[in-house]
Amino acid sequence: MKPLNYAMLKHFTTVPEACVQDVMEALKPQYGDFKAFQKDSMISAIMTAAANGLLEESRFELDDQNELRVYYRAHEEGAATINTYIE
Amino acid sequence: MSGSSAAAFAAKAKLDSSFRKRGVSIALTSGITYGLYTAFMTYAMSQGIWSDWYGANTTGLSAFAVIYLLGALGAAVTDTSSAVWAFSITAARGRIGDFFRTIKTKPGKVMVVGALFGGPIASTAYVIGLQMAGSIIVPISALCPAIGAIIARFLFKQPLTMRILAGIAICFLASLLIASTSLGGDAPEGMALGLVFGFIAAIGWGFEGCVCGYGTSMIDSEVAITIRQVTSGLSNLIILVPIFGMMSGDGMTLSLVTQAFTDSSMLWFAVAGFFAYLNFMLWYKGNGMCGAALGMSCNGAYSFWGPLCCWVILGIFFGIDGWEMQPIAWFSAVLMVAGIVTIAMNPLDLFKKKEAVQYEAA
Repeated sequence: MKPLNYAMLKHFTTVPEACVQDVMEALKPQYGDFKAFQKDSMISAIMTAAANGLLEESRFELDDQNELRVYYRAHEEGAATINTYIE
Repeated sequence: MSGSSAAAFAAKAKLDSSFRKRGVSIALTSGITYGLYTAFMTYAMSQGIWSDWYGANTTGLSAFAVIYLLGALGAAVTDTSSAVWAFSITAARGRIGDFFRTIKTKPGKVMVVGALFGGPIASTAYVIGLQMAGSIIVPISALCPAIGAIIARFLFKQPLTMRILAGIAICFLASLLIASTSLGGDAPEGMALGLVFGFIAAIGWGFEGCVCGYGTSMIDSEVAITIRQVTSGLSNLIILVPIFGMMSGDGMTLSLVTQAFTDSSMLWFAVAGFFAYLNFMLWYKGNGMCGAALGMSCNGAYSFWGPLCCWVILGIFFGIDGWEMQPIAWFSAVLMVAGIVTIAMNPLDLFKKKEAVQYEAA
């Protein structure tokens, strides 16, 4: 089992793009009972990865509940870095 | 622009702005906690058995042991208690499993190397530099944000513009002004070598700040700091203290370590360790969120917070003489804010924004 942050980054290398809600849904079966499995801290982790060039924003929108969804993707170089450091 | 897309743009701008403000606040707070950690460690090293070691010295420690061995022991006791805090808080917050899972991985090992650079290597170089060249080492070590920004430029392709360099130079000048209050005729022989040690400290902390800050883009900052403090505490205690013990030749190292950990001063080392935990966690997190140049310069305000916290805690609260703040330190704090703003944004944008607001209002 990988640390939660690693699993989040790895998820971006397997899909074209994802927002935090998508990541939480995908990781819930394995990590749902983790205390760190909180939306705010996961958004912060994703934005930190984006600030350091591992991910990039692809688009954003408001969903049906008027909640902001920001989508990110792992560009070629970011995905290569993630795959180099995280097996 | 439709109403819903305008609302989305507003929500997105709010999220970005809040992330950036939180990053800068975290990085600035790390400087304050550094000041508190320094003040409480200094106080702890003046209490209990430490007052005898540094004062009457009834144990008969050599001059070398008093300068180097006790310095390393003080750092080791603080880092070890900080590691206990980090481990306990990480466990209480349900992240201890990730600590063991992370430390075996490549980013975890990089974090250990970063901690070794910043922990025993830079700290020891700093102590030796201080002893050899005097307090000129303080501003020399404050070059670490510049070094961190340069390393980050090459390793992680983070931006390094003339404006960022100018901001770092302003922060360095402010540190130099603060240190100038304690500069005097205390530069003994071997000053050139002492300056080299000061640069080694700056390189060590610059490397640690940039590499471990980047590391928090992969590793949870609470897990990262537990790795850092456990590595630093153990390496100081198991490697550094015995090396200085052997060099001092007193044969009392084990006894000193035992006395230090069972002394009443441990209460204050526990307080210092807590602030050391906060300091490094916020430093790493701030560097990760803001980038090395801005994060490390915000943290570099410790040049101001250190003397301020020592004045408030040691001077005012505990009534110890000699910790008053000089007026130049207050001036330097304002200068440092100007430097940090210069790194964070183009100061001319402040005027542009004003113009934009006026235009919108019109």
